[in-house]
Amino acid sequence: MQVTQIIHAYKQAPWRVQRQYTGAFLLIVIGVAMIAALYLMVSARAAITGREIQSLRDEITVTRRINADLEARIGDLTSTSAMQQRARQLNYRPVLPGELEYLAVPNFFVPEPAILLAAQDATEFERIVPPEYTQSLIEWFDERIRLGGAQ
Amino acid sequence: MRQQYAIRSLFLIFCFALAGLGILAQMIRIQSSEQASVFLSQGDLYAGEFRTFYPERGLIYDRNGYLLAGNRTVYEVGVNLSDLNDPESVAYNLSVYLGLTYDEVYNRLTDFPDTWRYVVIQDYVDADVVASLQELIQQMKNVGDRRLNGIAFHPHFQRSYPEDALASNVLGFVARDGRGYFGIEEKYNDLLAGNPVQVWVPSDPNKATEIPRVPNGTDLALTINRDLQARVESILDDSLVQYGAANGAIVVMDPRNGEILAMATTPRMDLNNYNAYFSLYDNGSQYNRVVNMAYEPGSVLKILTMAAAIDNGTVVPQTTFLDTGSIQIGGAVVWNWNRDSWGLQDMTGCLQHSLNVCMTWLSTQMGPSVFYGYMERFGLGRRTGIDLADEALGRLKTPGDSDWYIVDLGTNAFGQGVSVTAMQMLMASSAFANDGKMVTPHVLYSMLRDGHQYNVPSQYGGSPISAQTARTLNNMLANSLEAEASSALLPGYRVAGKTGTAQIPTDYGYDPSKTNASFIGWGPVDDPQFMIYIWLQQPTSSPWSSETAAPVFSKVAEQTVILLNIPPDNVRLALSSK
Repeated sequence: MQVTQIIHAYKQAPWRVQRQYTGAFLLIVIGVAMIAALYLMVSARAAITGREIQSLRDEITVTRRINADLEARIGDLTSTSAMQQRARQLNYRPVLPGELEYLAVPNFFVPEPAILLAAQDATEFERIVPPEYTQSLIEWFDERIRLGGAQ
Repeated sequence: MRQQYAIRSLFLIFCFALAGLGILAQMIRIQSSEQASVFLSQGDLYAGEFRTFYPERGLIYDRNGYLLAGNRTVYEVGVNLSDLNDPESVAYNLSVYLGLTYDEVYNRLTDFPDTWRYVVIQDYVDADVVASLQELIQQMKNVGDRRLNGIAFHPHFQRSYPEDALASNVLGFVARDGRGYFGIEEKYNDLLAGNPVQVWVPSDPNKATEIPRVPNGTDLALTINRDLQARVESILDDSLVQYGAANGAIVVMDPRNGEILAMATTPRMDLNNYNAYFSLYDNGSQYNRVVNMAYEPGSVLKILTMAAAIDNGTVVPQTTFLDTGSIQIGGAVVWNWNRDSWGLQDMTGCLQHSLNVCMTWLSTQMGPSVFYGYMERFGLGRRTGIDLADEALGRLKTPGDSDWYIVDLGTNAFGQGVSVTAMQMLMASSAFANDGKMVTPHVLYSMLRDGHQYNVPSQYGGSPISAQTARTLNNMLANSLEAEASSALLPGYRVAGKTGTAQIPTDYGYDPSKTNASFIGWGPVDDPQFMIYIWLQQPTSSPWSSETAAPVFSKVAEQTVILLNIPPDNVRLALSSK
């Protein structure tokens, strides 16, 4: 009789048990909802960024096309026939051998054409992209571990 | 009461479980049904698309950076059939703007297989036409008129040649299949075209992936000097008219490194209208006669014979030869070009008067093995390796060939019975202007890719003769031109060279009424900076090279020294002595 009373004294009230179950369930639901929301937010941002990248790629394509068109247009405007026509309009004519004078200019070198001078190191761009944009999470962890917290 | 609630709860749970199981069963049934594959394929249609990204074809420049071949945007005009509202209006407007008939467009819009979602109406439409059409569509949309819905424009590149026909024989062209034909466009097609990349582009934003970088084709800078090329082409065209020649070719090369500075042949075509190819040329060898066509060069080849004889020690410049006007070899009689006897001549005289008899004597003195050994070392019968498509081989018959006879030893010595390309003659002769070393001719100056520049180094093609022989020949040829007051001479500059007049072989022997007139020359003799080859086919005003090709050489040389800034000899020597 005494034993039964003790057990009874320590048993929680049913409503408290129900509340605990409900609380635990709600906690799980809220946790799942938070994870889902986080996932949704991250994936939405990733999708938006993906689309932005595609859009920027399209812009690059369009810009390249415009550049190519402009280069072709410059080619047309500076073609031999166009330049000859302009020279004639300005009353120029081809020089004759007897009209030429030659001078020695010390340390003068004929400059390289612009297309050759314009050659730049294209890998520069890749060097300035920070690792955050190219590294995976695992690679980042690996790097941190290898560095041992040192910057 | 509590039990009643429990029963209700159980009932609700059972209902929801049943509904869930029903949904699950239906999902499994649909997934495993016969129509599942159809649904999946329909879904795939809208899941995304494979897109091929073509790199921009590499540009081609001359050595001074002038654009010779570029790219411009053209459009494929089509109709998205699912968006089409009014086929009549679309057909009418497209027919007006694109120059097509109404029926042609209308039939394409209304008569198509069920699976089609898009039809192409016309490709390679100019940007101006598309801009006008787009403006019209926009104007109609602004007032709420949707009758032209569905018209779509897809831009892509088309090869563009701002210089039209200039250097067309060197450049070649790109057809609509995107492949290069002839010249540089064919030879370096893989470099210029780059590598297309095909990627799957999903419609689902979550699956959006980065499109891989598609690097442009490699840009090329050529050794061609555009201004010199234009002058040379102009001189060639004028010369064909002046001398009544059927066709011709002129090449200007830097003999020190093999760089081709200008290369002109006829006919030339406007590269922006490459369909003209079929009306201009009977076969591919006519596209660039300098490289693609071999011919019997005649007396220009005598310089190789004389060089071989001097280098071998068979003769020295002062060796005399009594010319009687004819010589017997292999049962045949060889005559001089005018059938005259020229009496006692030294070796310079043999070259100056272009004596066939003297050359035949030289080759017999050397013997077949020595003579043909030299000819092979000069590169005859072998491709030069120039970086242009479809180089011809030429033919040098040698002892042991089934069609070689003793008489060939004599006739080959003065350029008959042997076929070469103009480029082979230039390469062989570069040994005279370059202390005995031949250079490999090339047209590519530099490759430009990813910001890096790769220059093409000069290559030597062997040393068939010694430096001493080369200098001796230089002086002999310069003296012979001066002695005969050749029309090839260029005032102020000492040049060396040799004429060549060759009858044209036919199936019935040599045609006495038709000749190939050639001239090879270079200068300044003490420091050769240019080498020029002239070839006029069947000149009618005079059959002789001395009266046709030689003066053309002088004109080309004059323009060359101006454009390459080569001062007259006295000025150059005075400047260099300071």
